[in-house]
Amino acid sequence: MIQSIVLSGVAIGSIYALIGITYNVMFSASRVFSFTAGTLGMIGGVLGSLFIARMGMPVAAGLLLALVGGAVLGIVTEIVAVRPVLRSLDQHLYVLSTLALALMVQQFVAIEWGTDARPFPRLLPTARTDFDQQFWLPMLACIVVIVGLELLYRYTLVGRAFLAIAEDNFAARALGLPERGLRIASFALAGAIGTLAGFAGGELLLAFFGNAPMLTFYGFIPVALGGMGNNRGAVVAGLLLGLFQQTANFLIGGIFASVAVFTVFILVLLMRPEGLAGVTAQRRV
Amino acid sequence: MSLTRRQALASAGVAVVASSLAKPAIAANEPIRVGYLPALTGPSSSTGIGITRGTELAVAEINAAGGIDGRPLELITRDTQSDPTKAVNAAAELVNQQQVKVVLGPLNSGESLAAVPMLARSKTLQVHPCWVDSLTDPAKYPMCFRNAPTNQQIGGAANGYVVDVLKHKKVAVISDTTGYGTASVNAYVPMLKTKGAEVVYQGNVDAANPDLKPELLRMQSAGAEAIMPWSVNAGFLSRIINTRGDMGWDVPIVGQTTLGSGQTKDLLEKPEYWAKVYPNNFRPVCYAPGGKLPERTAAFLDRLKSAKIDLSDTLLWWIALGYDSPRMIAEAMKAVGPEPDKIVGYLNKLKGFPGVYGDISFTPEQHNGYPDGEVVMVEANSLKDGAFNLAPGYST
Repeated sequence: MIQSIVLSGVAIGSIYALIGITYNVMFSASRVFSFTAGTLGMIGGVLGSLFIARMGMPVAAGLLLALVGGAVLGIVTEIVAVRPVLRSLDQHLYVLSTLALALMVQQFVAIEWGTDARPFPRLLPTARTDFDQQFWLPMLACIVVIVGLELLYRYTLVGRAFLAIAEDNFAARALGLPERGLRIASFALAGAIGTLAGFAGGELLLAFFGNAPMLTFYGFIPVALGGMGNNRGAVVAGLLLGLFQQTANFLIGGIFASVAVFTVFILVLLMRPEGLAGVTAQRRV
Repeated sequence: MSLTRRQALASAGVAVVASSLAKPAIAANEPIRVGYLPALTGPSSSTGIGITRGTELAVAEINAAGGIDGRPLELITRDTQSDPTKAVNAAAELVNQQQVKVVLGPLNSGESLAAVPMLARSKTLQVHPCWVDSLTDPAKYPMCFRNAPTNQQIGGAANGYVVDVLKHKKVAVISDTTGYGTASVNAYVPMLKTKGAEVVYQGNVDAANPDLKPELLRMQSAGAEAIMPWSVNAGFLSRIINTRGDMGWDVPIVGQTTLGSGQTKDLLEKPEYWAKVYPNNFRPVCYAPGGKLPERTAAFLDRLKSAKIDLSDTLLWWIALGYDSPRMIAEAMKAVGPEPDKIVGYLNKLKGFPGVYGDISFTPEQHNGYPDGEVVMVEANSLKDGAFNLAPGYST
């Protein structure tokens, strides 16, 4: 039982963490919580299944095309649902615009792809084992993304520019940084990360249009618990969420497992509104 | 040439007589319009497309044989897009704009729940195949008839198979969290208990939950001898089958028809995991233990093949059901004419209409026409030409 809890919990938690990072990357560049994050995860599974299982492409080509598709959707999100509402961030119109876009994409997938879950191909030709690829692939994807983002942010000029925009948008623009271009690049990067989450977790989640709302909600919890914009917090909170959810599945089961997850989520936020790893914002008065 | 008043009156008189003589000739050939509400797109479209193949074949055959006393049937089809709102709007359009007096469909319960009261208010004769029990009620909807089983019959057949045929007394009942799933569990668990079974596990689980092992371990530790899942979600059902296979747990899975669908099959980790999975189906469209279809169904299958109707992506019972509905209405119209009130009177006394899908009977008090004994369980892994083998334990 413990082996099942840990394997499934960490695997699912890795997917949640990646969706949380997707939220964060978009948030850092725009101060917008884009609720297309879960849709990007769903698209990763659908595109992977489409390219590899249905069209017979090699896994590497399928992965690359899926990531490109996710990046394009990220850019479309920025242009269609984020840019028009940036001037009125305080009215939180982005909640409506990004949710509307997410629903449109989800319905499009339902119509074109179908509403039944479809198989996601086995990515590596190995026999099924207890520590199967369906469990370790999401974990590997999570590690790759964390390390990749750390390297990007610490050691590249573009990464530092991302951080500058995230830190102080106005100051960064005053210094001549191309804020719009960097924002588009951030959304493309977020699109690719979200798609990777769905692709790596495809064998667990299947290619199913209904994964979008599930990932949107469960992917948001690591962000809220880990602190908004805090990727390390999102990873820790995502893994804890996966483990807690799986433990609740074993100990409580059924619909009450979800109730337990959301109860703990609300309790944690009541005790630490800034999130487990967040810092209380201070402003000069 | 000038026209006198007498000539003008005579001409007018001739014209009136001529037009009044011509009228019956036109009416005799005028098509009888029948509304049809399938879901041809959207989530429920696989059922709708299958049923429509049968319906269109039946209408073509009826018209080729001379129609109803020389009048062809004209099917006025509106795609409901699997959306109850669009279904009820389409039903209103058929009744108000197209002036149809008879409607076949909608073909799924969600749409019918919206459309049945509206069609009843407009005094339109309706025949639908939807399973939700409340969708017929001779007192509330006296012109609405069901030529398919109810949910009670579906659950009763599955429960009967587990308890009476397989002789299992400890049962696990699981569903997803949809309205259909939870309603099914709530309805079928008391029925199982009445039959003397012990429900050792009962649960509703989110269909998107990727890991159902905790639920199956709970069933196993409770001593379940059979799993009864109620869901139309192929992903959810395949996870139950796959988890049972991975656990090496040799209990039968007995339940909803989707257990035997191609979508469920596509999601199985190993083909052998589909063994000992028994979904609902209907005896007249199943292979008997000798591997033969009933004579009426075998002849129908030959007709389908000669009409080049594709069976590879659909189920025989969907096509048979679609084929029977217009034939039943046509038989009533031939007997009593096309007026809806007279057809209702005819259907209220219908006894054993010989459908391919099943023999249909109604009474003024009972508008559920499908016989209990024809709802059976089948072997999921035996699909051939859209039909399944009867599950082990049924006699011929």
